Amino acid sequence: MTIDPDLYSQADLLVGAFERAGYIRVSPAMLQPAEPFLDLAGEDMRRHMYVLSDSAGNELCLRPDLTIPVARDHLASAASGAARPARFCYLGAVFRDHGSGAGSGEFLQAGIESFGRTDTAAADAEALSLGLEATAHYGVNDPEILTGDVSLFSALIAALELAPAWKRRLAKDFNRKVTLAEDLERLALAGANGRSEHRGVLAALADANPKAAHALVTDLLSIAGISAVGGRTIGEIADRFVEQAELGVSSALPGEMRKVIERFLGIAGTPDDAAAALRALAEDAGLSLDPALDLFESRTGFLAASGVDVARIRFETGFGRGVDYYTGFVFELHDRAGRAEGQLVAGGRYDALLSRLGSPRPVPAVGLAVWIERLAALTDAGLP
Amino acid sequence: MSALVLAVPAKGRLQENAERFFARAGLDLVKPRGTRDYRGAVARLDGVEVAFLSASEIAQQLAVGGVHFGITGEDLVREMIPAVDAKVALIEALGFGHANVVVAVPEAWIDVRTMADLDDVATSFRARHDRRLRVATKYINLTRSFFAGHGIADYRIVESAGATEGAPAAGTAELIVDITSSGATLAANGLKIVDDGMILRSQANLVASRLAPWGREALATAAVILDRIEAQARARRYKEVRTRFGGCNDTLLGVAKTQFGVVTPFGGPTSSGMLTLHCPPDAVHRLALFLREHGADSVIVADIEYVFTRDNPLFARLDAAVRPKN
Repeated sequence: MTIDPDLYSQADLLVGAFERAGYIRVSPAMLQPAEPFLDLAGEDMRRHMYVLSDSAGNELCLRPDLTIPVARDHLASAASGAARPARFCYLGAVFRDHGSGAGSGEFLQAGIESFGRTDTAAADAEALSLGLEATAHYGVNDPEILTGDVSLFSALIAALELAPAWKRRLAKDFNRKVTLAEDLERLALAGANGRSEHRGVLAALADANPKAAHALVTDLLSIAGISAVGGRTIGEIADRFVEQAELGVSSALPGEMRKVIERFLGIAGTPDDAAAALRALAEDAGLSLDPALDLFESRTGFLAASGVDVARIRFETGFGRGVDYYTGFVFELHDRAGRAEGQLVAGGRYDALLSRLGSPRPVPAVGLAVWIERLAALTDAGLP
Repeated sequence: MSALVLAVPAKGRLQENAERFFARAGLDLVKPRGTRDYRGAVARLDGVEVAFLSASEIAQQLAVGGVHFGITGEDLVREMIPAVDAKVALIEALGFGHANVVVAVPEAWIDVRTMADLDDVATSFRARHDRRLRVATKYINLTRSFFAGHGIADYRIVESAGATEGAPAAGTAELIVDITSSGATLAANGLKIVDDGMILRSQANLVASRLAPWGREALATAAVILDRIEAQARARRYKEVRTRFGGCNDTLLGVAKTQFGVVTPFGGPTSSGMLTLHCPPDAVHRLALFLREHGADSVIVADIEYVFTRDNPLFARLDAAVRPKN
């Protein structure tokens, strides 16, 4: 597909504005190794990717987004060694397979990536205000602003007295709303695991002290002549087996804990209203969510200071972006009239991304992507 | 040029079973140009071209309409054909080529019995090892949708071309999704099936491509083939039971129908009391006892070669799948 020159030049002006804001323009390779995308976005991403292999059998793909390529190029460059923040912007094609008959799989995306800034709240706010500039560039001055904050849910889960298995599960399922609802349902039911085979051992272990129980299971596995199998160690298997034993005794979630989670997930509104509701929830439940809430309020302050009318922002505690590499603030900008298929701009914070791509030290990261065709289609419609 | 293309597995047990299946229906597959030929015909039936292909090629050809009918495993059909229901129709399960697609983990994973356990292990594995659990399989699409259905996200698929069950021991994957018929190969490799890890109970199927050129001629030939297959399949479901006795009446027949599952191809007894029944094989002896208790002197049971009937459910299925909608 050839990209319409008008489409490109209008987007080029937008990226020029990003450059003037201090972002360095980069153009990563279209052809990328498939592994980082599958590792970070999960196997579910594969069906939306154009995967191919080279003659040596390596799996490659046409880039499905630009965040990972920009991050990889940055890590490979000498500049990544310095602790100084790095800011990049881009304009280029991304490739996503939305099933046969869904039209071209090639889309034009512009975006920014900000790596290494430690002033988290200000960097979050800057990303959202640049996103608003992007829609304004196409004449969409009042998009619907949806925001969320994954770190608030993480903080809630961390503060609750829950078995580790349940914490892992809830954290994982935050991005999968149907499963999350099912999880809460299951949590309310006592030990509905239906495991019968090892019930005797599990019951005996439940009363033993954890250390002795762990040692016993490890010994049993060793006696059976089993060493590490399938990449898991004996200790790891024993850990979880003992954990299951403990969970088996009291796996029902106390009703009030489920109520807390559901009340949390029900909180939505303007950032200020949501913050007040969250503080009230934390106080009622005797939970400390202060660091996450402080950051949240500070971010709202920076947004107001950069001229965003925060009363127009819709915040939902349950809002996630469906991809589990986000770690904090997330946002999407939509056409209020619902004329576009999907979000116009989307972004958020992914502080674990660069570490997962091999950075020796943690690098905070925040960015956004602009769906050019969707915005241009709104302009072409002669609106607003 | 032949009107109808029928794809049959080119080698192995699947080929033998498929040829036997057609032969039973009076459709002998022949290779007029020698056994090495990959094109054949059906003896005494014009208008059919038989293509001998690998089971996976058959699935591919069905997907693009390159063949009208194919014999292949349901596992391959569901794995290899996206939007499967729009492209093919499963006409009949054939009772051979049984294979279950299952999720199997190392036996040493004593903490894993269910898919929910596996989900939890996947998540903690990622946190502990900083990489995702690897699943070796050739069933990428089946695995992906099954795992998604169980909410499992923290895993990676490692494509495996063969000897998948060896992957965990070789260290190239943590667990596998593979076919098994008896589970013996899994056990020999120190693997166990997850309790609710049955993805698909597969067997060989007669599959029709909805995208093949179903002209009038092809449909007519298909009707002949399906008529014979159905007649033979129906014959195998029953034994023919013949008897003659005066006390036979509709009430007695009603009892026989509900108790033994018999059908009456020619209706009730003739004026002379002659009665022909079709009875499921496992109920034959009980039926014979029942008939004698009610007055029959002798009951004759025989195998049936074919049962041709006016209706043909197989052709009805094909017709519904390929008839243009307007």
